[in-house]
Amino acid sequence: MGSEITVRMIDVAKAFGETRALKKCDFEARAGEVHAIVGENGSGKSTMAKIMSGVLHPDAGKVTILGEKVASPVDAKRVGLTTIFQEVLVADEASVFENLYVGRDGVFRSQSTGDRRTEAAEILARLVGKSVDLDQLAGSLPLSIKQWIVIARAILRKPQVLILDESSAALDLDSTLRLHAEIDRLRAEGATILIVTHRIAELVRIADRATILRDGITVGTLGKDEITEENLLSMMTPADRRASDATEYASRKKALEAPLILTATGLAAHRSARLFDFDLPKGSIVGVAGLDGQGQDAFIRALAGIIQPFGGEVKVRSVDTDKMVPLRSLDDAANLGVSYVSGDRKREGIFPQQSIFENLAIGVYRKKLGPLGVIRKPTLKPMFKREVDRLRIKIGSPSNRITSLSGGNQQKVLIGRAFANDPQVILLNDPARGVDLGTKRDLYRELRLFAEKGGSVIYLSSEIEEFIGFADRVDVFFGGTLFRSLTGEEIAEAPILAAMFGKARDASVDFDLERTA
Amino acid sequence: MSATAFRQVTQDRSLYVPAGLFLVLLCAVAFRGQGLFTNNGLAGAILVATPLILTALAITPIVMAGRGAVDLSVGPLMGFVNVTLITWLVGNGITHPVAIIAWAVGLGAAFQLVQALVIIYVRVAPIIVTLSGFLVLSGVNLMVMSRPGGVAPDWMLSWGAGTSVFSPVLLLLLGAFAIWGVLRGTMFYRNLRMTGADERMAYTSGVQVDVVRIIAHMVGGVFAGLAALSYTALISSGDPTQGSTYTLQAVTALVLGGASLSGGRGGALGSTLGAINMFLISYLLSTFNFGTVSGFVTQMAFGLILVGSLLVNVFVISRRTVA
Ligand SMILES: Nc1ncnc2c1ncn2[C@@H]1O[C@H](COP(=O)(O)OP(=O)(O)OP(=O)(O)O)[C@@H](O)[C@H]1O
Ligand SMILES: [Mg+2]
Repeated sequence: MGSEITVRMIDVAKAFGETRALKKCDFEARAGEVHAIVGENGSGKSTMAKIMSGVLHPDAGKVTILGEKVASPVDAKRVGLTTIFQEVLVADEASVFENLYVGRDGVFRSQSTGDRRTEAAEILARLVGKSVDLDQLAGSLPLSIKQWIVIARAILRKPQVLILDESSAALDLDSTLRLHAEIDRLRAEGATILIVTHRIAELVRIADRATILRDGITVGTLGKDEITEENLLSMMTPADRRASDATEYASRKKALEAPLILTATGLAAHRSARLFDFDLPKGSIVGVAGLDGQGQDAFIRALAGIIQPFGGEVKVRSVDTDKMVPLRSLDDAANLGVSYVSGDRKREGIFPQQSIFENLAIGVYRKKLGPLGVIRKPTLKPMFKREVDRLRIKIGSPSNRITSLSGGNQQKVLIGRAFANDPQVILLNDPARGVDLGTKRDLYRELRLFAEKGGSVIYLSSEIEEFIGFADRVDVFFGGTLFRSLTGEEIAEAPILAAMFGKARDASVDFDLERTA
Repeated sequence: MSATAFRQVTQDRSLYVPAGLFLVLLCAVAFRGQGLFTNNGLAGAILVATPLILTALAITPIVMAGRGAVDLSVGPLMGFVNVTLITWLVGNGITHPVAIIAWAVGLGAAFQLVQALVIIYVRVAPIIVTLSGFLVLSGVNLMVMSRPGGVAPDWMLSWGAGTSVFSPVLLLLLGAFAIWGVLRGTMFYRNLRMTGADERMAYTSGVQVDVVRIIAHMVGGVFAGLAALSYTALISSGDPTQGSTYTLQAVTALVLGGASLSGGRGGALGSTLGAINMFLISYLLSTFNFGTVSGFVTQMAFGLILVGSLLVNVFVISRRTVA
């Protein structure tokens, strides 16, 4: 058992107009294995997943899933292949329950066997870790729960082949572990699981094999023991533009002594939470961590002026007057030079109908107005080019729609938008979701440079290893309030983890996460 | 049936405004005079309101299927069925009820099938397709019949008498509700909602969105055919000119009934309530004496109440807490 080939792609090619997303793709996966697909942003991973699922049709080559051809999602359903796409596809206007079972039935007839509601409630409770009301509208739920809905939708189908395209990107640490448990269970039952991820730690932990894509070509497959960061990086990236090395910066205690640029007093994420204060010294990088729903997300969005906190006040030092001025709205944020990058790009990031250029430049329009309020477009071109180069955004023509970019590259456009504003404070709410390792390192370097030139950064992330060697201070949220501030030596995995679970300073955390090795 | 309707209203927030408005209008009408609540009054009301209710029902499944597919062609389509029925069938001596009903329903469904196929396979935005349908049919109607005229078949003349509440027109209406009720009980209704709410999600999850869209259009076409029958009964003749009025009124009724023009939200109950509310508004206004401007007053009232109910919906009912 467990060794027959279930997924096979031979010589597959796919182009979108000028862009050749896949040039020569060969791939094989077996029953009972977790097979990772790895590559830089825009290397063609999602395209590969869409071809296997019958959503896209290859221009050339042959694809067989469990011995059959899959020409449409309906075919995929029939042979037992289920895909969790990179975009979190949830209908906001429909209930959680409807979202879970969409597409399960024929046009008229229900294929129902057994009690769907109980089954759905059980699986969501197991995945989310708490029970979820099946009848509420999905639109009001946070991104992480929506991500769980999509995962639950797939698992409920009991797939023979399951494809997860960056499904852990919106999940916190604790949740990632639950997802891994689910994957282990499916593997034990003999399913084939294909995962696409940029989290190397995740790969090392769970993948049996990994196939590497570079610019639309599969360059090789690594066995379990060969999956290491160096191996992956050297295969993913052509030698001439290999990413900068992982430079570890020392946490700069000095930076934390600078005058404050932003203060928040008496904040609370919800009514019953303990009040807390927060301050941001000029030129420093402050990391924000916490398990899902501990208030950190509301906190950073309140700083950006998107939502009103329950009481309390946010103040930012004005560039003009050098006085602390209250920040209460998005307008205040823009005037005070506070930029915000969201990780939930579908809801509060991109303008899907607009071009890449518009999406990047929209924030600076108001500063570049000519006579009569006409936007002086030519003056924006150099800025556009600078950001595209700096973040290595892989684009075709700037006038293409932003949705023609790969997920990671869309995210980079949002980061570019924040930089383009010349802000004094950048707030990043899990900005590296779906961004490849090389770019992440570039991003840290750019933020460091920004901080050294006097800019200030607040960086929320769901991956704690992102803070190490990068942040000057890490503020951990727990129970809706700022639970602990860590500096210097304390910015390490164990102390951060302990704080995230609300444990005392020196308690050890009793389960080992991600980096088991 | 009214029990299930009641349950729907209490569960579906988008029905709060139309149901509330319905109650208010009903009280106002009762206050202004008793005319409506007599046998003759009700019979006349059903006769006049049914074509509008049925056209509103005809666009409901099409709008629900999403892509901003407001079916503008519905009014002229109803007119097309009406004039061809009078000119081609009755004019040639074909008056058997089965033939007439089959023609009306079949023509409506066939026309919508063509529109659906164009939308799906030529990949034109639905609103463009239905706008073309509107323009083409408006012209064709005048070619088939250059001015109002002709007579409805004999057996239909009594339908328009408006002397009994339980007239065949009411049967048409109940027939349409029955069709909708059956569809609502099948998976089709859920597939339709999901397609309208997020077509990409529905497609990638294995919903046959093209089939769903085709069926939605054809069901709409059947309702348009029934609307044409009730309209023919109402005027007892053919009229090539009324189509465009019905399109605009049907869209208004749909929105008043709480449907979302971007798809996914809406239903027969809402559209029916919307259409009845429009009827009540014009009925109510007709009890005042506005003289020669009464037509304009009615239109203005439709507009104001439409805006008003959308505002109530946005600011009072569906205000979401910012997470
Ligand atoms: N619909 C489309 N139209 C035009 N170009 C597209 C389209 N979809 C993908 N592409 C291009 O194809 C290439 C591969 O995209 P793909 O989404 O497969 O990348 P990916 O490996 O999944 O990247 P990421 O890690 O950022 O998700 C990219 O250059 C992208 O811009
Ligand atoms: Mg991708």
